[in-house]
Order: sequence, then C-alpha cells, then structure tokens
Amino acid sequence: MKVKSWISIITVFVLILVLALTGCSNSDSQKTGGSTKKDTPKSNDEKEVTINLGFYSGGKSDEKMQALIKKFMTAHPNIKVTSQSAPYGQFYQKLDTQIAAQEAPDVWLSDGVLVMKYAERGAVKDLTEWINRDLNKDDYYGLDFNKDANGKYWAVPQGIQIGVLYYNKDLFDKAHVEYPNENWTWDDLQTAAAKLTLDAGGKNANESGFKSNNISQFGLTFFSITEGWFSVLKSYGGGVLDESMKKSIIHSDENKKAFEWMVDGMKRGILTDPADLKSFQSPMAVFPSGAAAMRIGIYARVLAANEAGLNYDVTVLPKGPDGNRFAPVISNSWVINSKVSDEKAKAAWEWIKFWATEDEVQKEWAELGEAVPVKKSVANSDVFLKAAGNPANKKAFLDSFEFAGALDTNAVWEEWVAKFNEHAQRAFLGESSIEDSLKGADKDIQKILDEFYKK
Amino acid sequence: MSNTVVNNMAAETIPTTKKRKYFSHEGRWGLILVSPYLIHLIVFVVGPLIASLYFSLSKYDMLNPPKWVGLENYQKLFHEPLFYKSLWNTIYFAILFVPAQTFLALLLAVALNQKLKALKLFRMAHFIPVISSWTVIMYVADAIFNPRFGLANTFLLKLGLDPQRWFNDEHLVIPLLVLVAVWKGIGYIMIIYLAGLQSVPNELYEAAEMDGAGTIRKFTSITLPLISPTTFLVIVLSSITTFQAFEQIYVMTGGAADISAAGGPNNSSLVLMLYLYREGFSFMHMGYASAIAWILFIILFTLTIIQLKIQKKWVHYD
Repeated sequence: MKVKSWISIITVFVLILVLALTGCSNSDSQKTGGSTKKDTPKSNDEKEVTINLGFYSGGKSDEKMQALIKKFMTAHPNIKVTSQSAPYGQFYQKLDTQIAAQEAPDVWLSDGVLVMKYAERGAVKDLTEWINRDLNKDDYYGLDFNKDANGKYWAVPQGIQIGVLYYNKDLFDKAHVEYPNENWTWDDLQTAAAKLTLDAGGKNANESGFKSNNISQFGLTFFSITEGWFSVLKSYGGGVLDESMKKSIIHSDENKKAFEWMVDGMKRGILTDPADLKSFQSPMAVFPSGAAAMRIGIYARVLAANEAGLNYDVTVLPKGPDGNRFAPVISNSWVINSKVSDEKAKAAWEWIKFWATEDEVQKEWAELGEAVPVKKSVANSDVFLKAAGNPANKKAFLDSFEFAGALDTNAVWEEWVAKFNEHAQRAFLGESSIEDSLKGADKDIQKILDEFYKK
Repeated sequence: MSNTVVNNMAAETIPTTKKRKYFSHEGRWGLILVSPYLIHLIVFVVGPLIASLYFSLSKYDMLNPPKWVGLENYQKLFHEPLFYKSLWNTIYFAILFVPAQTFLALLLAVALNQKLKALKLFRMAHFIPVISSWTVIMYVADAIFNPRFGLANTFLLKLGLDPQRWFNDEHLVIPLLVLVAVWKGIGYIMIIYLAGLQSVPNELYEAAEMDGAGTIRKFTSITLPLISPTTFLVIVLSSITTFQAFEQIYVMTGGAADISAAGGPNNSSLVLMLYLYREGFSFMHMGYASAIAWILFIILFTLTIIQLKIQKKWVHYD
C-alpha cells in the first residue's frame, strides 16, 4: 500500500511536470509553426512572408529605423516586417538567449566585432552566394571586413565605424601648437601631446616641476582596443593574430616598440592610463569634456563632441616608424539567422539589399550622423561630406579606408580582447614589464584560440 | 463549532498517519491547492537546477546544443588561477564585510533603541542607502573617491600627502567596496537587530540593575545572549549575500561600459559571481559557468552547515 501511494504521488508530479513542459513547448511551436502558417494562406499572387528584424538603438535611430521599415514594406507588399529593438547591452544579452531558445529574430543588426562570434558558431547564414550575385563589391565600404579567412561573407554592412585622430582646436590654439596633419608619426603626436598636457598647476609635461600624477588636461586619451592600442600596434608593424585568426603573433619586437611608445606616454602623464580613465564618468567622456587635446575615435564620436559644442576637427591617424598606417574598422552589419526557412531568408535578403543599394535609405540613415554610409556613392556625396556641423574634414574618414582593417575579429574576439586588456593594463600601470606582459598575453591568448579551434 | 472541527481533525489524523491516503478526497484537494507552487518549484527551480547540473558536465556555448564532456569543466576550473583568485577575492570580501557589518549594525541598533529625539528620522536616514540603487551609490562613492575630483584626494593633497587611486588600486579596491557595501547594507541589518532588541524583556534589565550590573555588563550578559538568534540570522544572511555579490562590483568597477574592466583593476575585485557571469554570458562558456555555479553552491552549503553546527555553542533560543 505504501509503495503504491508513493507511485501515485510520483505520477502526479510527473504529470504536472509534463503538463508544464508541454505548455512551454506548445507556445514554442505555435510561434514558429504558426508564423509559417501565416505566411502561406494570405497569398493572392505572391505569398506573404513575415520577417522579424532585430536591432539595437537609441531614441532617434529607433524612429528612423521604423520609418525605413515602413518604406520597405510599401516597396515590398508581400513582405511584412515586425521588429524588436533594445539598447546595445540588453539587445545582445537577449539575443544570445533567444538563439539558445530558437526564438531569435530572422535578421538582425550585429556589431561588426560580433559577426564572427555568430558565424563561426553556426548561428548566421553564409551570404557569399547572394552577395556575389546581387551586390557589386566595389560599390560598398566594409564588405571585406566581414569576410573570414576562407573567403566567405557572413554579413552586409549597415554602417561603418572607422578610426581617425580627433583634435580640440581651442586647446591647440591656447598652447600655440600646430594642428595635426596627415604626415604625423606617433612620435610627432607625442611631442605635440607633451606640450598639450597640463598638470593641476598649469605646467606642461616639458616643464620642470610638472606633476605627472595630478593632471588636469591630457595630450591624448587612449581607450582599450579600437580607440587605443590596436592601431598603434598595427602601424608599428605588429598585431595580435595572424591571417588565419587562429594564431597569436603578440610576442614580437614590433609590438614591444609600440608598447614602449604607449607606456612611456602614460608614465609621463601625456596619455590617459587605465586608472586615469576611471576618474571620468565614462572612458568616452574624456575628449568631449575638454580634458584631452586629442583622441583616437571612431565616426560615432562626432555625436558627443558636437553635443558638447567642441571646436574640433579630425585627420587620419599617425604613421608608424616605417611609414605604416592603420585605421581600425568596425562594420556593423546585417546578418540572417541560419535557422530560418528559405522563404524568410530570401525576404530578409530583400531587406538587406534595400538597405545597402537604395540611395534614399543610405541618405536618410546618414542624416542621423551615427555612421559612415556603406554605399560609396552616398559617402562621397555632399550628403555626407558637406553635412552641417563639425568636423570639417569628414573626408579623413573616407581617406582612412585606404589603410583600414578589422580588429582581428574571430569567434572568441571578446575573450581574447579581455585577456589582452588584462595584460596590457599591467604594463600600462607599470605593474609588470612590457616583455612579461606581451609574453603572458601571447600564452593566454593562444590558449583561448586553441581551446576554441582545436575541438 | 470550533470544537467539532477539532474533533473531526483529531479523528482523521489517526488513520491518515497510519495509512497515507494521498488520493483520498482531501489529499487530492491538498495536491491541487499546492500545485501552483509545485509547478513553479519544478519548472523554475528543480528544472533549471537539473539543467545547470547537466550543462556543467557539458560544453555549451548557448548557440549550439550542449555536448557531454563529463568532468572536464571541473578539471579546468581547478587548474585555472583566475578561479582561485576570484574565490580568494570573495572570501576576502566576506571576511571584511560580515563582521564589520554585523558589529556596526548592532552598535547602531543599540544606539537607536534609546529614547532619543527625532528617533524615526535617524532610523530613516540610515535606511535610505538600503533602498537606493547601486548606480546612485556609485555616484556618491565617486564624489568621495574619484582620483581627480573626489573629496578624499582633495583632503590628502591639502595635508601634503600623495593622492591615491582608490578604486583603481589593487590593494584598496576590496576594502573600499566593503566600506561602501557596509554603508549601504547597515540600515537593513539594523532593522533586524532593532526587532531583536525590542523582544528582550525589560524585567531582565531591571533585575540586573538591582543586582548592581552596569551598562556594559547588562549588554554582554543580557542583550548579547538574548539576541544571539538574530546575530546568527544576520551572519548567515550576510555571508550568503557576499558570496552572491555581483551588482555592486559590476557597477562600481565599470562593468557596464566594458565587461573586461569589471572586477578590476587587474581582476583584484573579480568575485565568483562576476567571474561566472563573464565566462557564461560574455565568453559563451555556459558549461564552465555552470560548473562555477555548482562549486559556489557547494561552498555556500558547507558554510551554512558549519554555521548551523557552530551555532549550538553560542546561540541561545528561549
């Protein structure tokens, strides 16, 4: 009797569990299955397809995106677009769990540095064939930055971020220093930056009695990979990964020289070190607040600088000792979910084509001033180059494409960057030697790469 | 009426304890009535628990189905220096935080248990940080400890001393985080202590006074033993919260701007939960992160068992 009643109790538990679980999976199949059903019956001549579009955004860009979606639906009456958006951080946190639950959007906007994370894990569709068929690659910036080592394309750029040198004209004028120009080397930059670095007593870095631990104005603000060490390493002839993106090349003489330049600048107080950055509300706030004369910055940084009413301009980034130059690029891109039906993937591709090829769309998005337009004809037109407001030299962004490159992005990009930052930070703060930091970073990053690629 | 109910219950409890009839009319209703809770428990607690145990034994990047790897994640964990570093940081945080908060909250509760003017105002003032979000607390702490603009460095410079990096100093970051955590949490613990203190009968103090006991004697011989169950509760609660500390360190070390900065500088404030989050949600090592979670669970479980065992020696229940 006792055993029997225990069995019945367990049966009830199991029943409840099954009920609850089927409840979950029911809603799942209803959503995915239901939407495909929705796609089919309404058709008159052509089938109606619904695609879900995911993107990260803030207030203004959200409105613009909705307007463009409406335009797209008018142009493509058989495609219905639903959308979901969230601020950057939340968007990606949600996206990963959505992919896990097979509930991800059919097409989404991926940060340029994350494309490979999704591509190499099989979450997004290989677009090589469609791109070769429908897009003339010479017409667009940034397509090649989403190409992997095997020559496959995984994404189509939505807007480009490319790094240039920003400088605050007022601070240069006050210190009677000539504005930066395209012939500058990193050493020229540091010489000028020393004159522009002021301590709390108003002395510059070349004067005796200058206090490097109490600085009120930095020569150059320097932050993490994109707007910090990556372009310095590259223009010194160094780098992080080789072309296969599976091998670390960190422990090199070129990188050592680049690090010497950076560490020397930080020691003298000319460049912001990681601890200096922490005294600002955000590492991005140093330049707009007027606390630094120069910054390495991507295009999106014009927004904050203009908002702060800064009198500034931009030029291409300095050269390395051998005349090499490097501009970091992040091409934020549209990717298609690898799990969607062919029908939906094709509809999603229509959206991507609409975005990249239509001049009107490109112009409207360029008006927001968040990114360099993807289509070269639009980027080289007055819409972009002669847009109102600073910087005057917008051509510098386009000129930089000549020596531009992605940030050695691969599936474990976030992980190796964190590891690199960890070791670099020790060198920057003088807690370990440059040699030890590079050696340590090399070893740890190779371990990360091996773990992922040698499955 | 009430008598009949009692009689009925008495009559029925005898057979049911002998023969557990779960499917009697009442048993069925019992199960149906607790089923919302049971379903919640199974779907949201037991389910994820089993899932996370399974994940901890597999390679799982969230984007692809988990692959069984046995104990590999645990082996990796025990060979990873960063795991030991984060474990030590967590313990160090707890060693500073739990005694400091418990002791100071008790002092504060005793002080605010007196007959003071504007007593409610004082109690409320100490409770404000409890209900403030960590972001607000971060700005307050920044006003004091910002290396460039903060009060602390301005003060040091006035005295002719070298300015400090505070939260950006490897050796200062945990003590400072503890300081802020105590300041934020003390109001809550104080309330728990106030409740404990008010349950101590006044007669005991009066009797002790008649016997000539002074203030300190009364505190050590009456107050402390009688509120020992409260102290026990406080210690258990705050050690669990320290092991689960995440939000504070994430916010105060700049994790929102750059996840690789969270737990800095140089991972010197990287605690277990932060390490778990970074591995799981930033680096897509959900299997490894689940293994960290299970180790964390084992640590907390053992700690609570030890505390339960030790309490017999010093906690006095009525």
